[in-house]
Amino acid sequence: MERTEPLPPEIELAQLLQRCAAHDSAAFRLLYDKTSPILFARLLRMLRRRSVAEEALQDVYVRIWERAGQYEAGRGRALAWMVTIARYCAIDLMRRERMTLVGDDALSEVADESSGDPLLDKPNNFDECIGQLPEHTRNCLTLAFVEGRSHDEIARLTANPLGSVKSWIRRGLLSLKACLSTEGQAA
Amino acid sequence: MKSGNRELVDRLAAEYVLGTLRGRARRRFERWLVSPQVGDIVKGWEERLAGLEPRLDKVTPPTTVWRGIENRLELRRKPATRWLAIAASLIFATVIGFYVLRQPPVTPELAATQKALIQENAQTIYWSVELLGDNQELAVHVQATHALEAGKALELWVLPAPGVNNGQPVSLGLLPAQGAERRALTAAQRAALVGAKQLAVSLEPAGGSPTGLPTGPVLHVASLAPA
Repeated sequence: MERTEPLPPEIELAQLLQRCAAHDSAAFRLLYDKTSPILFARLLRMLRRRSVAEEALQDVYVRIWERAGQYEAGRGRALAWMVTIARYCAIDLMRRERMTLVGDDALSEVADESSGDPLLDKPNNFDECIGQLPEHTRNCLTLAFVEGRSHDEIARLTANPLGSVKSWIRRGLLSLKACLSTEGQAA
Repeated sequence: MKSGNRELVDRLAAEYVLGTLRGRARRRFERWLVSPQVGDIVKGWEERLAGLEPRLDKVTPPTTVWRGIENRLELRRKPATRWLAIAASLIFATVIGFYVLRQPPVTPELAATQKALIQENAQTIYWSVELLGDNQELAVHVQATHALEAGKALELWVLPAPGVNNGQPVSLGLLPAQGAERRALTAAQRAALVGAKQLAVSLEPAGGSPTGLPTGPVLHVASLAPA
């Protein structure tokens, strides 16, 4: 498999974050250089419009700098922590901009399928557990998590009643949790 | 947490992490995040749903984004804290720091004026640090043993208030591996503590930083609070 540019090593990112917590702006610049192409790609996937994603990327790094002290090295992976901040910033920005579904013109800016590296490690048995869910539920979860779509948008996009979408998502999350914890205990 | 509450929090946490909890409900839920219990539940969902993260091709953002971040954080106006610069004046502070460690414990009666907890998370606290009598003395109590490889030491620093000591950290000495220590602070250390809000811990060679500034990674940052 061809891997042109591997993801930056976790330990390095964790150390850079800790230096950011101590207000080391040189470490912050390094962290930005190593991670912004990843987070920008992730934001584009949710926000679709470049100009909006650029604004969101600023929000993300301001938040990373301000919250670096809250990153707990022992508890989570550094990149996962940053990607989560990016997702939450994108959701906040959608609210601020009152963004709704955008047209195909904006969709064309982003490739939907890509050959890049998987961003984060999956929990053990994640593929088996997600595979056990009905396809319509899997679609709803993916549209929400990956694309940042709201309940309403998912209902419109998939042409399903809003009530069904909400209950599929709720049950899907419960099943996923139950399956992952059973598998986790068995492992 | 009652079990009914726990179920509700779990459901909201799941939709918060998934992203379908929106608007005012999202804002309200964010206010609950200060609770460590709620934080742990959210963390659990973040780990579970990380499996949904897509594969992505990197996209380099335009340089205007970094300039915007710099402006918003005023990084340009504040000179970078030069962690690695060797400032002769600071070697002095370190030397004093080592001396202080070797002094016999100072005797009683000073009240704690500020304190900080050096911790991994809410459950794991390694050291409690107290400043006594308006920074005259420092007291450190080991709460839990911190992992440390041979030939290394953990050094405590104060991150001074803006404008103090050019924003450069000042050593408060090495952290004890066990028990408790109490020692008098030097004039340089006291000056650096005026208005300071944070302490930091760095990993250093045995005996402490050879340069007077942190040389290894900063492992912990702790906030100073009134005692």
